[in-house]
Amino acid sequence: MPSEVTPSTNNHDFILTALRQNLRLDSRPLDTYRPIDLTFSSDPDTYGQTDVRIGKTRVLCNISCEVGAPYPDRKFDGVFTISCELGPMGSPAWEVGRQDQTEIILSRILEKTVRRSGALDTESLCIVAGQKCFHLRADIHILDHDGNVLDAACFALMAALLHFRRPDVSIEGEEVTVYSVREREPVKLTMTHHPFCITTSFYPSRQGSDDDLISVLDTTLQEEQCRTGSLTISLNRHGEVCNIAKYGGVGIEGLSVLTCVNASLEKAKMFDRLLKERLAEDEKARQAKIGAMGLELSAENERVMERPVG
Amino acid sequence: MTTPGVLLPGEVVPQSALPATKKGTLTLGPGLHHVPPSTISATTTGSLQTDNKKGAIWLETSHGRYQPTVGDHVIAQIHHSSTESYSCILTPHTPYAILGQLAFEGANKKTRPQLKSGDLVYARVSKTKIECFNSATGKSEGMGPLKAGMTFSVTPSFARRLMMGTSKDGQAKGGVVVLEEAGEKVRFEVAVGRNGKVWIDSSTARETIVIGGLLVRADEEGWGVEMQRKMVKKVLRDV
Repeated sequence: MPSEVTPSTNNHDFILTALRQNLRLDSRPLDTYRPIDLTFSSDPDTYGQTDVRIGKTRVLCNISCEVGAPYPDRKFDGVFTISCELGPMGSPAWEVGRQDQTEIILSRILEKTVRRSGALDTESLCIVAGQKCFHLRADIHILDHDGNVLDAACFALMAALLHFRRPDVSIEGEEVTVYSVREREPVKLTMTHHPFCITTSFYPSRQGSDDDLISVLDTTLQEEQCRTGSLTISLNRHGEVCNIAKYGGVGIEGLSVLTCVNASLEKAKMFDRLLKERLAEDEKARQAKIGAMGLELSAENERVMERPVG
Repeated sequence: MTTPGVLLPGEVVPQSALPATKKGTLTLGPGLHHVPPSTISATTTGSLQTDNKKGAIWLETSHGRYQPTVGDHVIAQIHHSSTESYSCILTPHTPYAILGQLAFEGANKKTRPQLKSGDLVYARVSKTKIECFNSATGKSEGMGPLKAGMTFSVTPSFARRLMMGTSKDGQAKGGVVVLEEAGEKVRFEVAVGRNGKVWIDSSTARETIVIGGLLVRADEEGWGVEMQRKMVKKVLRDV
């Protein structure tokens, strides 16, 4: 069973010594992220496909939807599932079919951050109460693992949800019509708020003592392997915390949690700004493309279309 | 070395690129495949290199993992210890390399170094094992346990270029001058392992990070000699 290679004692000690002097291997301050890159699919008909890179970490998220029946106990809600895939492409330590600790934590935190916090209004996915609704599915693939997968995955998921458009529907009596992208402009999802995950890692500031901790944001894989604990805070840009996750590791004081929340809020605002910026850019690029094809599109709409399945 | 160009997998090496040899024999190196009677095609992507003196031709690639060869100097990480030997990691996710408990300079049962899991050694690949001394002379020749410092990961081909040394007129054969240039400004210790590891130790953590960072960037961004000189000067000015 492959496992991640642990850093050598030399590297472990060096990383700690350097952090105690406010130094990191990639020469950035302790509270900064690596360059974040967010791209959407260039195909104008594809919505909800995002590719996020934070340094060398790379995450792909794709949203898909289909029409199905809602859960009998939740007649007015659509269905939204998140599935994470950690394959050997991301890291040789991950195998297909074997659930890794990282994978369990990743899907659990994303579930809590995005689904349980009600970021997506699932009621808007309902078509006919108790009979038809949209099944929304988010597939997250970690393509390259160089630490801080959680923040990257959450960012990719939020970006994909905000970018995604579901097909438009119309209801006439008992009949439901689902229109294709070409027939009717697809509809954006209803999002109530935009939460982001921010992970803070902790390192002992003195050998063998856990009283005083150094907190570091956006750790690389090597740094992650040397940390003594971590804390993941999910919050939106208004500072509304929806989840605080701490899985083992060194104990931290209540007051430092507050400091972490404040630091995370800055980062959540940064994520939010970046996302809005990129979405606006993408929208503009898409409009330009559609503008060029505008004439063709109008001709197509006049033809008699086959009735879509719905 | 001359560079007749870059080849893609399956491409045929042009007859004109083959080295002219006196002996009339041709030695094929990594990345090339001979299809009888007289076709030589590339099996991977890389730049074609020839050596007229040896009548050798091979492909220089920057990808692929490290394949141990006898005589290579490597940086190995101890994984676990047993009565006879240490099991060491040369590259992740490959079988362990065996390092004898007594394969150190002047080591006997009482004086052998006590290495723990996670320690680093600078060693040489012998036939079936790795060793931290030259078994012919019994001298360490710079090999042995590495204390403190930091290892940086580079591609195996970059590590090879780092170890090529300088030619008679003082030019770096591998086209990497980062260490020489940095050595004029700061003092540091360095060990290069062919398995794509560079170990650097200097008096301050900052210097180590800067030099390691320069090496990694020179490798990833493919800096030329001039670019390396410029960047080393620029970065070391602040240290």
